[in-house]
This record gives sequence, structure tokens and C-alpha cells, in this order.
Amino acid sequence: MNDRTTDHQPVHAAPEHDSARSGPSGHLLSQLVAHLREHRTRLQEEWSQRIQQAHLLTAMTPQEMAAETTSVYDNYVEVLETGNVEALQHYARDLSERIIPRGVETHEVVGIVLLLRDVLARSLFEKYQRDFSMLNEVLDAYEPAANRIANTVAVSFVDERERVIRQQQDAIRELSTPVLPVRERLLILPIIGVLDSERAKQLTEQLLSGIRKHRAKVVVIDITGSPDVDEAVANHLVQTVDASRLMGASVIITGLSPKIAQTLVTIGVDLSKMNTIGDLQGGLEEAERLLGYAVTRKEVDSTS
Amino acid sequence: MRQGSTLIASIHTALDDSELVRFEHDLVKQIGEHRSRGVIIDVAALDVIDSFAALTLRRIADMARLRGALTVLVGIQPEVAFAMVRLGMGTGQIPTALDLEEGVQLLAEVAATRNFPSSGSQPQKRT
Amino acid sequence: MVRRIVHARVGSHPAAEDLVQETLTRVLAASPTIEPGMLEPYAIVTARNVVASMWRDVDRKHRNQHRVVDLSTPDPPETQVLLDEEQSAMATALARLTERERRTLLDHEVKGTDTRTLAAREGSTAGAVAAQLNRTRARLRVEYLLAAAQIDPPTEQCRAVLMALSSGDKRRQREVHAAQHLLECEPCAGLSQPLLERGQPRDDRLTIPVTTDPDIVTARGAARELASRLAFGPTDLTVIATAVSEVCRNIVRFAGTGEVVVNLLEVPRRGIQIVARDGGPGIPDVERALDDGFSTYGGLGLGLPGVRRLMDEFAIASEPGHGTTVTMTKWEKADHE
Repeated sequence: MNDRTTDHQPVHAAPEHDSARSGPSGHLLSQLVAHLREHRTRLQEEWSQRIQQAHLLTAMTPQEMAAETTSVYDNYVEVLETGNVEALQHYARDLSERIIPRGVETHEVVGIVLLLRDVLARSLFEKYQRDFSMLNEVLDAYEPAANRIANTVAVSFVDERERVIRQQQDAIRELSTPVLPVRERLLILPIIGVLDSERAKQLTEQLLSGIRKHRAKVVVIDITGSPDVDEAVANHLVQTVDASRLMGASVIITGLSPKIAQTLVTIGVDLSKMNTIGDLQGGLEEAERLLGYAVTRKEVDSTS
Repeated sequence: MRQGSTLIASIHTALDDSELVRFEHDLVKQIGEHRSRGVIIDVAALDVIDSFAALTLRRIADMARLRGALTVLVGIQPEVAFAMVRLGMGTGQIPTALDLEEGVQLLAEVAATRNFPSSGSQPQKRT
Repeated sequence: MVRRIVHARVGSHPAAEDLVQETLTRVLAASPTIEPGMLEPYAIVTARNVVASMWRDVDRKHRNQHRVVDLSTPDPPETQVLLDEEQSAMATALARLTERERRTLLDHEVKGTDTRTLAAREGSTAGAVAAQLNRTRARLRVEYLLAAAQIDPPTEQCRAVLMALSSGDKRRQREVHAAQHLLECEPCAGLSQPLLERGQPRDDRLTIPVTTDPDIVTARGAARELASRLAFGPTDLTVIATAVSEVCRNIVRFAGTGEVVVNLLEVPRRGIQIVARDGGPGIPDVERALDDGFSTYGGLGLGLPGVRRLMDEFAIASEPGHGTTVTMTKWEKADHE
């Protein structure tokens, strides 16, 4: 029964694919492809001009533009011929990766593909204008395929862009909560910018693994750079202090503004149990003191 | 395991509630038998410390204190520490240290300030 | 043979399993607010809604794609037809179960009645009820697929074969010559794919009976294991395991016996859902149990409120004398969207 399987191998092939090859439209498409191959230079030229007129892809040099439009054109025709978008998808993703850092926008990418669609449609129109029914059939075969191509390119671009954005977000997040080993056994965690719950959680995770990694005994959390701390984040801060203590590290909080202190008191935090020092300098001095002299805990009642 | 007057108990695998209770009884008994001054409980192998485990650890520390021994908890993993405070569990007044080595040192320091006659290791100054 | 099955044209209906699962999950979550007599109709309505929302989702994705390329050719009437069909398929499937099957399934999944209680009512054993529930679920899947595809099985054998596939019973599959039948019967070949996919390592749901102390450790380990298939970091895995540990302990302490169901979710987002239920004495005052500092067993009184803080979503339903069900969810990641 293997013979049954050989003729439609790509399981995921879209329906257009099958019909494109077998039906009468398949024949039309190959005619169409031949036409597009034959007039490649002229059509591509026309397309490039329209891209320029529309002020798209201005971030690219004319040479780059020529190279990319050639590739897009050839990929485009290939999809029409084979019905298989995989190569195009690959190329589109690759292209996106190269042009996204240069600030190329979604509408530009979609724009140029739609322009190509129109340029080619027009040339088909010219070629078949005398035979109206033929023209209709050709367009029937061409349009769904062309739309599918536009779709593929756009989706690839957007996917790639989302990926890049996610990557950047991760990078920023890493940057914005650096755990700095100042000296042996002392970490500083400057919190800069707005803290939301997700970031606060990440910060705690980083700090706790930082404590283990650097074998820290004292942590200074400086929140001078964070103007706004709501109740949820304040809660988180308290939990961070407690969790650090569970790992054997003392926490000193510096840069506590009166407003944040107020928030902490409001949610029922006993500030006397938190080691808070006005500014970073003072905090560091306190940390040195804790490290320099033996760190002892005094809560044990003498029973001996 | 013993080292001088310090008793070191390592938990090697996840314990269920009954096993925790047994651990508690065994440990408290040993503290009495050896007249230990310090107890170090190493929980580095625990991937979860839930309310019951935390409660048990606190109870051990309380009992040890009644018998004159100071308990130090060492090796709490970062994730476990996070989950514990989220759950609302602390270790109460039990001192904690990063790992066994730190725990031994912490006990030594406490012993030095309280002038215990002897301890597992001599207090040493850090540089 | 397998190739043939894989290649067989299958419509775009999503794996039936997901739908059934999602339906029951939602009904379960809402059960405390529903009148007892209304459970069944509610389940059917929910089933419809779940199917509908799934289609809306797919539909929306399609539309967004179109919007990106600025094409204005979606086909609303056709989509609407599809939507209606999917909606009624689940209702039809539920209706095709026998009265007893339906009642038992809904009691178990919706009201959270455990298998032991059901067994007592039916004069049967817990094991037998569990087996019967599995058969009922398998049947519901088959009937859903048939209804969705609007197929009347052409031969006597069709249902038997599909049932054997749906329940993943290899021996039964041999008995009914499932492979042979799939080769000969075009509709069954088409319908079998979602059922076979299900039989593959799609075990994204675990049920762990909880009766003794060691079960607590087993349950939290299993939940961690399952959760680690998603993109949870070490902290979240520990948080999930800790929460499971707490709810299991409540079962052992207060009810004596119960079960924990761990479920990986894809819809509406990726996450893990844990349902812990028991047929114990229930909690007389749920509000108070959720207050920090309230406890009935001399602990620290931080069981449930702590668990609520650990998880993203938390619901508890309890009826004195009829047991307690805790449903809690942790979403994979809060940052995208």
C-alpha cells in the first residue's frame, strides 16, 4: 500500500497545492510561471520603481534593494510553480532577521509584496486582455496563490519581529536587575525603574541564586532608583528579605523614600524588623560592619 | 553524625510526614544522649519545604533549645526559600546559613561570644 | 497501514480530547454556583461554549492574518456554519450516552463526587466505577467525532473499532480487527486520527489517589514532573510542588482519602491545573479557612491562604458532609500578552 502514499507526500500540503498541480488551473499556472520567468527583468524593474515611488524600504541601499527584490521575485515565482511555501517562508524569516534591526516596518514588507502581486497581475492582464474568459481563469489560478504568498511573507515577518522583541525584552529585564558582587560575600542589588510583579519576582529569583553563587552573607538592596512601589511589590520586597534570610544572608535596604516606607507600614510590615538605612553609602558601611565583625545572631536565650 | 559537641543531621531525600516525625524524634533523642551544644540540619536535598516540614524543623529547634542546644538550618535552596516565604512559612527564630561550612562557622561564632567550653571548630576571623 | 491512516484526510476538527477536557474543567470550576438540577444542561451549554470559543479563536487568528496583509476575503457565513456544527456536536455526543453513563460522568467531573462514593451508590466498587468512567470518556470522544463529522457509521463494526481506539485498548483492538477495518472503512480511517494521536504520548493528565503520607510526596513529585514539560522555571516548579503538597496534606488529614488530578492546559493559555478533591467532612466556613491564621489542626494556619498566594488562580468548593474540591492553576508565563 506504499504506492498510495508516494503521490502525496507532504502531509501538510494545503489543498491549493494539490489542485494547483493536477487540475486545469495547474496547467494555467505553469503557463503563467513561464510568462513571469520570461519577462523577469522587465517586471522586476517595474516593481522596483513602484517600491521607490511608494517610499518603501528607504532604509536599504539601491544595491541591497536590487539583490533582495531579485530574491523575492524568484521565490515568488517558485511558490507559484510548486505551491510549496516552505522555501519562501525560510527566506522571509531570514530577510526579516536582517532588516528588522534596521527599522523596517511591517507595512513596508507587506507593501512590497502586495506591489509585486499587483505588478504581476497587471502584466497578466495585458497578456490575456483579448481573451476575457482566459484572463478570468488565469486570475482565478493566480489570485489565491498570490494571496497565500503575501500571507506567508507577512506572517513570517511578524513572527520574526515578535521573536526579536521578546529577545530584547529578556535582555532589558536582565540588565535592569543586575546583581552586583561588590566584594567578597557582599551583593548590591540596585533596583532601577518601575517594578511590576513579574519583574519583582524575577528580581527575587536572581538575587536568591546570586546569594548561592557568590556565597553572599550581606545583600544591599538599593531602591533609590525606583520611584513607585505599590502594595504588591512592597509585599514582594518583604518576601525577598525573608527568603534571603532563609539562605543565610542579611538584607539591608537603602534609599527607602518616605512614601514607600508609608506603603510598607500600611501593609503591616514591621519596619523595625527590616534593616533600613537612608542612603547607599550608609548601607555599604553597615554591610562592612556586618562582614568585618563576626556576624552573630543574638536571639538565642541563654539557657546554659 | 557528630563533630565535637555539634550534631550534624543531613536529610538526603524527600521525606513524607511520618518520616519527618520519625526524624524529629530520632534527632531530639540524640541531642539528649550526646548533650550536644549545637545542631546543624542540612536540608539541601529537600526540593520542597511545605508547612509541615517547616513546622517540624521549628519544633526540633525549640526542643533542642530546651535541652541547651542551638540549631542552625543550612542548605535551603533558592527556589525552596522563595516558595516558603510565598506560602507564609518562615523558620521562626532558627538561624540559617548558606551551607554546612557556614553553619559550622556560625555555631562557632555564637559559641565564642557565649563562651561555650568547646565546640566543633575554633572560631576563626574572616579576612 | 499507519501511513495510510496518517495520510487519510482528516477534517480540521481539533482533538476531541481537548474539548471534552476543557468542558468538564470549566463546568467543574463553576459548579458551586449552579443549582443541583441544572448541572446537566449547564454541562451541555458549557460544552457548546467551549467549542464555540475555540472556533472563535481559530477564526480570529484567520482574521488577524488577513488584516496583516490587508485582504478582505474572510468567509463569515461558512465560518458560522462550522461553528454551529461544532457546537451541537458536543451536545449530541453527550445526549448519546446512556442515562447512567451521563449521570456518573457528570457527577464525577462536575460535582466532584469521588469514585468511592459513586461506587457505594451504584452498588459497585471504586475500581469498577473508574473503569466505567474511562469507558464513558472514550465513548464521548467517539460520539463527539461522529457527530462533528456528521457521519453515520456505515458498518456494525465501526463503533466497536473506534471505541477500542478511543480507549487505547490494544487487546480489544486486535479482537475487533481494528487495523483491517481502518483499511477498508474510509470514514473510520478519517476519524481515527485524533483518537490515535491521543493514544500517543499525550498523557498530559494525571490522577493520583491520595490516602497516606507517602502519597503526598508522590503527588507533588508527579505534579513537578508534569509541569516541567512546560516552560516553568525552577522556582515555579518548586512553588507548584509546594502547593500540591499542602492540598494533599489536607486530604490526608481531614478526609482520609481523595485524589489529585494534574492537568496541563493549552487553552486559554499554557499552564498547569491541579484539582484536589475528597469526599471528607467538608469545610464549614470556607471564608474563615482562607483567613491567614485560621487552622483546625494546630498547625500554623497557613495552609489554604498560603496555597492561594503560591498559585495564579485558586478556587475552593466545599459542602459540609460532601467533601471539598480545590482547583488551582499556575500559568506558564505572565509576560507575553
